[in-house]
Amino acid sequence: MNGMKDFFESERKRVFKPDAYFTQRVMARLNDRRTAAGFQDHGFWDIVPSSTRPVLALALVLILCFVAGEVLLPQLPERGMVESFLAPEQSPGESFLYNDTDVPSRQDVLHDLIELEEQ
Amino acid sequence: MEFDRELIVRAQSGDPSAQEAIVNQFSAMVFRLTSRFFRNREDVEDIAQDVFLKVFARIDQVRPDENFPGWLARVTVNTCYDELRKTRRRKEAMETYGPEMAGEQSVAPKEPDSLGKARLALQRLDAKLRVPLLLKEVEEMSVEEIAKTMGLTQTNVKVRLFRARKKLQSMLGGSEGRSK
Repeated sequence: MNGMKDFFESERKRVFKPDAYFTQRVMARLNDRRTAAGFQDHGFWDIVPSSTRPVLALALVLILCFVAGEVLLPQLPERGMVESFLAPEQSPGESFLYNDTDVPSRQDVLHDLIELEEQ
Repeated sequence: MEFDRELIVRAQSGDPSAQEAIVNQFSAMVFRLTSRFFRNREDVEDIAQDVFLKVFARIDQVRPDENFPGWLARVTVNTCYDELRKTRRRKEAMETYGPEMAGEQSVAPKEPDSLGKARLALQRLDAKLRVPLLLKEVEEMSVEEIAKTMGLTQTNVKVRLFRARKKLQSMLGGSEGRSK
């Protein structure tokens, strides 16, 4: 184990020392981290000036209410089925409501009913 | 080591001049401790920088009555220990491609044969045995100080020191026996 004693002795003498710019390098890395953390910490409300926050909040609430109303409330047709049929033009909503292509034609329905009667 | 406790309070409030003063005051100590575990100057410098970044990230955890140099030594040793474990994993991965790529000996300066054998034996020790042994034999820390620095019990440190010495003895005895 004498080898180990000599080794530990030599290790005691082997010491690296910081150079003159070590502190500056550490401070530069610290500043980089601080800047990066600063960008992460800034959320949407931190960017907006405090005086405009209430106005922006009200506008956002109104927009959300409008979107919710559009999505949740069913659209009511402005005219009845007959009025819409007689009018020269139909709006897309009326067309969707009154001229549904998935519904079988009147002739087909009659044909099906007659077939059922015959059976 | 004497130091101004006011510095810690100012650093906790984010004062850059206090942080700079702490780095200036303790960088030599961090370098000395890190030199125990790494032989390359660049490695020592990188680890020392990481230590100070960790210190300032966790400076709020330091109580005014706490022994700051002791706390800093603990952060330093833990950082070195983590790096040694990472290096070991990297080394194990590299050994798959060829043993000559993995050894630290390739960059080590030329030294007497007995010291080289001792260094090699120490490198083969697991980090959890190597770290307390180096702190005891090279840094000349007491068992109590090592326990505090590594966050272990004194009994645990004693057991690790005993195992480290026994392993080293068997490695050196074995290698000397083979070389004769």
